[in-house]
Amino acid sequence: MSETETVTALSPMYGSRFGYALSNGTVGVYDKTARYWRIKSKNHAMSIHAFDLNSDGVCELITGWSNGKVDARSDRTGEVIFKDNFASSIAGVVEGDYRMDGSTQLICCSVDGEVRGYLPGGEEMKGNLMDTSAEQDLIRELSQKKQNLLLELRNYEENAKAEQNTQLKEADGQRGVIPANTQLQTSLSVNLGSDSQSAHVELCISTTNDTIIRAVLIFAEGIFEGESHVVHPSLQNLSGCVRVPLTPPKDVPVDLHIKAFVGYRNSTQFHVFELTRQLPRFSMYALSSPDSATEPLSFVNCTMNERPQRIVMWLNQSFLLPEDAEFQSAPFQVCFTSLRNAGQLFIKIKSGGEISISTDDIDLAGDIIQSMASFLAIEDLQVEADFPAYFEELKKVLVKVDEHHSVNQRLTADMAEHSNLIRSMLVQAEDARLLGDMKNMKKRYIELYDLNRDLINQYKIRCNNHTELLNNLKAVNQAIQRAGRLRVGKPKTQVITACRDAIRSNNFNVLFRIMRVGTASS
Amino acid sequence: MELSLARVDYLQVGVTAQKTMRLLPASGRAATQKVVVGDQDGVVTCFGMKKGEPVPVFKTLPGQKIARLELGGALNTPQEKIFVATGSEVRGFTKRGKQFLSFETNLTENIKAMHISGADLFLCASYIYNHYCDCKDKHYYLSGDKINDVLCLPVDKVNSITPVLACQDRLLRVLQGSDLLYEVEVPGPPTVLALNNGNGGDSGEEIVYGTSDGKLGLTQITASAPVHKWEIGNEKKRGGILCIDSFDIVGDGVKELLVGRDDGVLEIYSFESVDEPVLRYDYALSESIASVQGGCVGKDGYDEVLASTYSGWLTGLTTEPVHREGGSGEELKLSQEMQSKISSLRNELEHLQMKVLQEREKYQQSSQSSTAVSSVPAFSVNDKFTLNKDDASYSLILEVQTAIDNVLVQSDVPIDLLDVDKNSAVVSFSSCDSEPNSNFLLATYRCQANTTRLELKIRSIEGQYGTLQAYVTPRIQPKTCQVHQYQIKPLSLHQRTHSIDHDRPMNTLMLKGQFSFAEIHSWVVFCLPEVPEKTPAGDSVTFYFQNTFLGTQLESSYRKGEGCFKSDNISTISILKDVLSKEATKRKINLNISYDINEESVRHTLKLIHPKLEYQQLLAKKVHLIDALRELQVHEGNVDFLLPKYRSILEEADQLLEEYKKQPAHLERLYGMITDLFIDKFKFKGTNVKTKVPLLLEMLDGCEQDGLIAFFEAAA
Repeated sequence: MSETETVTALSPMYGSRFGYALSNGTVGVYDKTARYWRIKSKNHAMSIHAFDLNSDGVCELITGWSNGKVDARSDRTGEVIFKDNFASSIAGVVEGDYRMDGSTQLICCSVDGEVRGYLPGGEEMKGNLMDTSAEQDLIRELSQKKQNLLLELRNYEENAKAEQNTQLKEADGQRGVIPANTQLQTSLSVNLGSDSQSAHVELCISTTNDTIIRAVLIFAEGIFEGESHVVHPSLQNLSGCVRVPLTPPKDVPVDLHIKAFVGYRNSTQFHVFELTRQLPRFSMYALSSPDSATEPLSFVNCTMNERPQRIVMWLNQSFLLPEDAEFQSAPFQVCFTSLRNAGQLFIKIKSGGEISISTDDIDLAGDIIQSMASFLAIEDLQVEADFPAYFEELKKVLVKVDEHHSVNQRLTADMAEHSNLIRSMLVQAEDARLLGDMKNMKKRYIELYDLNRDLINQYKIRCNNHTELLNNLKAVNQAIQRAGRLRVGKPKTQVITACRDAIRSNNFNVLFRIMRVGTASS
Repeated sequence: MELSLARVDYLQVGVTAQKTMRLLPASGRAATQKVVVGDQDGVVTCFGMKKGEPVPVFKTLPGQKIARLELGGALNTPQEKIFVATGSEVRGFTKRGKQFLSFETNLTENIKAMHISGADLFLCASYIYNHYCDCKDKHYYLSGDKINDVLCLPVDKVNSITPVLACQDRLLRVLQGSDLLYEVEVPGPPTVLALNNGNGGDSGEEIVYGTSDGKLGLTQITASAPVHKWEIGNEKKRGGILCIDSFDIVGDGVKELLVGRDDGVLEIYSFESVDEPVLRYDYALSESIASVQGGCVGKDGYDEVLASTYSGWLTGLTTEPVHREGGSGEELKLSQEMQSKISSLRNELEHLQMKVLQEREKYQQSSQSSTAVSSVPAFSVNDKFTLNKDDASYSLILEVQTAIDNVLVQSDVPIDLLDVDKNSAVVSFSSCDSEPNSNFLLATYRCQANTTRLELKIRSIEGQYGTLQAYVTPRIQPKTCQVHQYQIKPLSLHQRTHSIDHDRPMNTLMLKGQFSFAEIHSWVVFCLPEVPEKTPAGDSVTFYFQNTFLGTQLESSYRKGEGCFKSDNISTISILKDVLSKEATKRKINLNISYDINEESVRHTLKLIHPKLEYQQLLAKKVHLIDALRELQVHEGNVDFLLPKYRSILEEADQLLEEYKKQPAHLERLYGMITDLFIDKFKFKGTNVKTKVPLLLEMLDGCEQDGLIAFFEAAA
């Protein structure tokens, strides 16, 4: 699963649940891979911790915020059951028996050094930690709801009144009266771009009559700089149609929550049309004609016991096709071009359920397999894959890892040698000092200084070597994950464990073999 | 004695305007008072509390917005007749709800303010003041700027009718008949007036005023001249004052001053030993307080402060303790009361929900027909866009009767949005395309649930002008949004003042041409904030302004065919020249512009800016050092070895940090203004010195006054 921002904290909760915090001020709770709830604040979560504050046997998620707030939220709903305020940002939230009286308490500390402890609430409080005015608040909330409903009712009444005189007048336009059958139409398409604009996915929003769209707000995660994107044409560019270019950076399905302000040119009040469109997972790939592109060398082949029609259905849902593709006869082939790097993607369905996906991007291949498998509800899938370019690179990385290991060993040996040398030199220098042989002592210390400098240099080399080694190891690990993602279910776990074994036994040929066919034995 | 008050919410009516809620005097045996409130749906509601339940006395039918509600009656009798101002009409109701008066005034505009004293009725529209006696027109006055409130000194004490107008141009205008007696200068635009102690003090001449920038003061209006008694600034940067009342809530025999503000803070000031009031208690409600009064409403024997808020909540802060100590039985009853209240509310809600669902369906169906229209429900937005003097930034406050869903802020001029601690909305800046859609700022504020009030802070740059638009979408079905526009004027950081220092060296800009008085006034309105839109009476006018950031000043006096602008800041003159000539060209008016640049003024302005610059640079340096010094302190255990100057930095570290945080980018703004000054100085000479700007910036880092002045003079 992937989140929209950098994950800054994780905290295990009850059972399979865990809390998380993101760098954009979001906290929430997951149960396995399903998100229970999340909230977003303009402040940042500094520390999260699971603690049972209301003594109901289930831990709450305690969050310490950058503005000095501490709140406890129910793990199921995210409802605030307790809150407190510090004068400065929270530094950390922990638990412990700080007073040594046998009861564990929640301890919060602020960056100014203020520490507060909280004992869990007793049985008699029945989980109600908010102060006694809770009932007052409830009444307030209910009254507010009532007021809102009354307002809504009045709105309909006034609307009915307005319908009495159906003639649209100039003044009505300003007040925002629009024909009731006004509809908002949206369409998504791939725009191959022009000289001034790079290729992108285009969202076209239009009204069905002479009304205009004053502004469009799109709330979506992970595809804009902030959480929203606004299109606000200037007065002379107003029209009933707005085109929004989108360039999702990752291949994930994104929900676009669109709010469009519809009215007339001189309106001061607008209707807000709210709708949600899903951006297909592989929207950044444009359909191209198969012969124009040279087929990539890398491929994934697999056999699925599925009707080809179903696979074409998946294709229609996951890609932005100008018109729905239809399956006619057995050798079926489509070709796409990536809008990001112009890479080619071929998907072929041969008779007998054999499917072949050709692309040089191993991540994309993995994403396609995973998406297809979840759409077709396939539990286990074994594939045959070959990514010559990627494997070649991996081979180089593996060689480098070996090199780094040996360099590391050599450096360690050097260092031991040097430290011995230092010890003897220090003794010699001190001897010289005691003997009053200043000339010799100076010489020794100069030597010592040089040696020390060498040692520092060596240490720097060692550091660099180590970080590079770590990066390379990360690449290897990623490669294994990627190889795993080309398979589904049991074969996936098999491939990952087999790959790890191969690495451990330093058998690279077997490793590549596993990545290609999925098993070590032939 | 510590004052502890408990909050009780009584009832919610429609959106209420300023000063539309009063308590009727207690009558007969009943000790509790009835509440009467008028809302913007035009409904006057009167209710009393019985056993914790609001019991309505009467309720009128909806009509036009109610702008004011006052109590009146014959002098020296209980003031229990209810007067409301709606549109251009004044209606009177008895305390039982019988309408006895419907007075259609001859005002062409809606009534904005009203005061009643016996048979005398004082009414104000935007600029017009009218005095009626027994509904007969007696006196009339046209004010120079918008009138916010009106008051008349108590006739029984003063023995003459002395009306006082609170006007937007920071003046209290004291009238006599139809003529102006004198003007009283107050520190901010006054929004509300009240008699001190409820009766004008011993002399009956003392009035308390509150300003839109949160200041409070007392002035004695004598027959010949005003006497200022006290004034309280707005240290805590709270909201503007909307309502004032006097009531003895502590019970010590001296009336306290109750103040309600537009950021929802309710304050109680007491007069302990001195004559100057001391803040005793404050309570923060979540929305602006439209009116406040002390009395006894909820329970016999317990005094309370009753406030009505913008969205129509009537909330009391009562001296009645929440947890009574007398036995557990009572407490049980209390919670039972609550329970029954909650369950009845829930029932009501369910019923409403059903009805709404039906209506919603009907609405959906109507969208199928091709002839039907769909109108947008109107909701009222309470907005305020003001310049803060302290940090020379604008604050935009938006308040809606229901929860806000999101606000889109769009601007066609470069401005900065600053973070405000108070608001919890998640802000997200969208990438802007200045071409072709002329957007320089696009930001969305997604509000948390139950946010009805949003405060934004905006920093503008003088010389760059345009419009700021806010699209407010509340959480209500059918979803709609309302757009509100705010002008960012060319000289946006200027503020009106009463007087300026005439001894400063001034640069002059003279305009001559075939334009009318109204035309040149409209140009001044376009350029400068706080100028009344209406063309002033007479044939010439003079306004004084001060730059809130630099302290430089501007005098503008103009008449038909002639305008004269004087400022000690060349940049101000340069901006005016550019904007005025552009405006005149737009209207095809031939302008004859001449200017007289005083070389001395540049040196003067630099001398004015320099201390600020030096202070800011020093502050920045000090703040820079704090962390290092703190580390030293931790390492060494004490700070005795440090120089006194570093020791003092450590001691003042917190204040320094706070000050630094309060004015972000202050130094950059100063740099920008000095650069503008530099460029403008030579622009008037006809030379372009843009290439020398990097040199100037280098110079600024050195921060030497004489060097700077020499540079300005040498770089020709």
